[in-house]
Amino acid sequence: MLGHQFVTAAAIAASVLFILSLGGLSNQEKAKRAVWYGIVGMALAVVFTMFGPGIGQYWLMIPMMLIGAAIGTVVAKKVEMTEMPQLVAALHSFVGLAAVFVGWNAEMERARVMAMRAAGESLDGLSAFAATLAHKTPAELTFLQVEVVLGVFIGAVTFTGSVIAFGKLAGKMDGKPKQYPGGHWLNAGAAALSLVLAIAYLNGAGFWTLLLIAVLAFFIGWHLIMGIGGADMPVVVSMLNSYSGWAAAAIGFTLSNDLLIVTGALVGSSGAILSYIMCKAMNRKFVNVILGGFGGTSGPAAEIEGEQVAIDAGGVASALNDADSVVIVPGYGMAVAQAQNAVSELVRKLRSSGKNIRFGIHPVAGRLPGHMNVLLAEAKVPYDIVLEMDEINDDLASTDVVIVIGSNDIVNPAAQEDPNSPIAGMPVLRVWEAKQVFVCKRGQGTGYSGIENPLFFKDNTRMFYGDARQSIDALLPLLD
Amino acid sequence: MKIGAPRERYEGEARVALTPESAGHIQKLGHECLIESGAGQLAGFSDEAYEQAGVTVVADAAALFDQADIVIKVREPDDEEAGRLREGQTLISFFWPAQNEEMLERCRGQGASVIAMDMVPRISRAQKMDALSSTANIAGYRAVIEAGNQFGRFFTGQVTAAGKVPPAKVLVIGAGVAGLAAIGTATSLGAVVRAFDVRPEVAEQIESMGAEFLFLDFEDSQDGSESGGYASPSSPEFREKQLELFRAQAPDIDIVITTALIPGRPAPKLWLEDMVAAMKPGSVVVDLAAEKGGNCDATVPNERVVTDNGVIVVGYTDFPSRMATQSSLLYSTNVRHMLTDLTPEKDGQVVHNMEDDVIRGATVTHQGEITFPPPPPKVKAIAAAKPKPKEKEPTPEEKKAAEHAAFVKQTKSQVSMLAIGGVLMLLLGQVAPASFMQHFIVFVLSCFVGFQVIWNVSHSLHTPLMAVTNAISGIIILGAVLQVGSGNWLVALLAGISVLIASINIVGGFLVTRRMLAMFQKS
Repeated sequence: MLGHQFVTAAAIAASVLFILSLGGLSNQEKAKRAVWYGIVGMALAVVFTMFGPGIGQYWLMIPMMLIGAAIGTVVAKKVEMTEMPQLVAALHSFVGLAAVFVGWNAEMERARVMAMRAAGESLDGLSAFAATLAHKTPAELTFLQVEVVLGVFIGAVTFTGSVIAFGKLAGKMDGKPKQYPGGHWLNAGAAALSLVLAIAYLNGAGFWTLLLIAVLAFFIGWHLIMGIGGADMPVVVSMLNSYSGWAAAAIGFTLSNDLLIVTGALVGSSGAILSYIMCKAMNRKFVNVILGGFGGTSGPAAEIEGEQVAIDAGGVASALNDADSVVIVPGYGMAVAQAQNAVSELVRKLRSSGKNIRFGIHPVAGRLPGHMNVLLAEAKVPYDIVLEMDEINDDLASTDVVIVIGSNDIVNPAAQEDPNSPIAGMPVLRVWEAKQVFVCKRGQGTGYSGIENPLFFKDNTRMFYGDARQSIDALLPLLD
Repeated sequence: MKIGAPRERYEGEARVALTPESAGHIQKLGHECLIESGAGQLAGFSDEAYEQAGVTVVADAAALFDQADIVIKVREPDDEEAGRLREGQTLISFFWPAQNEEMLERCRGQGASVIAMDMVPRISRAQKMDALSSTANIAGYRAVIEAGNQFGRFFTGQVTAAGKVPPAKVLVIGAGVAGLAAIGTATSLGAVVRAFDVRPEVAEQIESMGAEFLFLDFEDSQDGSESGGYASPSSPEFREKQLELFRAQAPDIDIVITTALIPGRPAPKLWLEDMVAAMKPGSVVVDLAAEKGGNCDATVPNERVVTDNGVIVVGYTDFPSRMATQSSLLYSTNVRHMLTDLTPEKDGQVVHNMEDDVIRGATVTHQGEITFPPPPPKVKAIAAAKPKPKEKEPTPEEKKAAEHAAFVKQTKSQVSMLAIGGVLMLLLGQVAPASFMQHFIVFVLSCFVGFQVIWNVSHSLHTPLMAVTNAISGIIILGAVLQVGSGNWLVALLAGISVLIASINIVGGFLVTRRMLAMFQKS
């Protein structure tokens, strides 16, 4: 058995390692080392806590860890890069569920210790968490109850929210926003009821209140995320990421464990910042995204004149052969069509003939922050030609050809030109400034948001209809 | 329907309105194609080539006019051809209805519908049938080639063992389609190109083609959008300034290509006698406006003249015809697009829809009536150029004041936030036990560290960031580990399950992160 001082030292080391691990993600090369910091930190934390004072039941704990590790390994090896969003969502749900269980456990242990104390039994024989509880003052126990409520509530919202997000991202569920009549009033009602129950619980109403709070929170998580559409998923996933952190932090308070608090706070703030970045990239308020629906428009959208002119692979190929600089703007459509490898091949071919090929990535392209970068990396596109919106926007005017693959709203000029557009003010990639734009799209019609895109009607835009992967594959043999 | 293309009668005209390629497309619309024997000869298309494309070769023009429902031509019809038109027949060709009123009346009298390719309105949708642009494009290109032919020096500057060659200086007047094509050709040959146009909004196009825009600072500049993208006559004051600008350029310029035309008017005189006189011997003037009287005083239509001081002035009017193959290919494609619009169902049935802006605009006679000039199209050719508001440069004092104000505002909001936070902490400290406050300090500091660290995470690594935070939020396993030793079986069970799922999280999260990061490669 290791003493308290070892456990504390390990916790400090682990905290530092976690911070280094997150900080190391500032660039691709450092990141490869940073992930090892995280792994070592986690190993230290788990091993030292396991063999710390007052822990038992290894016959249950170690097999569970091994099974969990095995499942985790299999999942991590098998997952396709296009499935990353749903994997992330699924993993969030686990943290949420674990937080709910640990919170319930804390309450059960508390009740047991209180009962023993009331009966005047000796508390010396207790082990593990119960032993810690036995030393707490009544005021500390009251605070512990508050922390339990918070942990359970946030954990439960995270759990069902993540399950729904997983279902929507994996396509097992309709991606369209859906809500019961009453909408957000139902959520507000459930939240108010939870508050009442929490007050009852603090006044000694018993374990059933905690169960009910969890059930209500399950409902809120489920109903809230059901009401959010597919394209807002980057925000939702970051938000759930944040919640899973806060849930861990709340549980850390309950268990008086600083390492849990530190880690929970790190994860929580990380998710919060990601949500903020995503919202800013869509020029929308966080509340507006979470409560669903686009902001109200102030008038009719501007009329679009002209027609969408189609082009075939031959036309695109000859333009590419003549171009010196090409920018590719991928979107969720590329992920859906699994076109990243075809795109990578296209890039390889164009680069080998000495052309300047770059990618322009909008912050909210895809269904997960940084989704496109990961897909392109998987397809072996070098990351130094994959640029952010702000890095590439000013170069677009001097670009010969822009190829838009499966993105729509993030290249919509209406966001800048039409003050009545629902997405007015959203920062977009100004692809229409390039000499020629090819839009690779499955067919006519508006995208997820239902907003007409004037880009498709511009004089220098040609529509390259068809499945993204097949279209690019058709293009490849036609290039010199 | 039968679509027929006769041989062009006009002296020196080598183009043809139907090529084997366009015939293939027209047949797909459900039409049948006819061609007069030998019509494509001068443009490089033999009768055999047409036959291979499934076109019926007809012996002479009379038979062709007799059989065809739609006659497609390049030049406007001559008297004989007009006489062959019959009621219900449609003629598609260049027509110049404003200058050819007599012929227009004649065609109306014959009862034929005439679609003038030169009257296709300048709107986005009609670009594919804009034969004027495709013709002008060729003329612009050819003008430079012609100038190169007459000019005794290189276009591009070179330093050779045999001495240094300065680059040719080319001035292009009028940056319409022909002007821009000329600019593009001349720059790609290596010349130093300057260009002028009365419409200031084309400056950007000129610069994008690689030429220098000669800017004329004049208040009353023209807005080309008012006249469908074409130039209109300028005021005498403006003209004076413009000529002054040209006069200053004349001694320096080797080649002048003038393309200035105003629709429905004689070409404006822009390159005057004295400017020609000021040019160096051996310099070349190519006047693309020769057919409409010429932009240059010295121009003689259809002739190459050499002035007393040795300046060569080229006034050919048949530049497109000098590149008959290319011209025919482009023109026939324009005509083919017109036929596509006339055959909306692609079933060989022509619908002469007078509600359609493009067809209405191009039709000059229909059902025995003259329909020229057309009403203005419903869609404007190009958006009106928005006047650029001049941003006022703030003075250093103003800048300083603004910065100071922002600083004060920021300080105020930060201080008030800190004050509110401090008061909240104080209140919490009143009720919370000391042990809680200790943990709370750790929590707040961690949030701060988190915020500082995460802002530096590279955008492209956001997905790995989420996977890592996912893995480390599996730290919740510690909670379960602390509880699993409890005597209560239910607690132990729930804790056991938590250990299991948190392990999935930790291992899965880290492994997938590693997998992702390994994929990021530098080129």
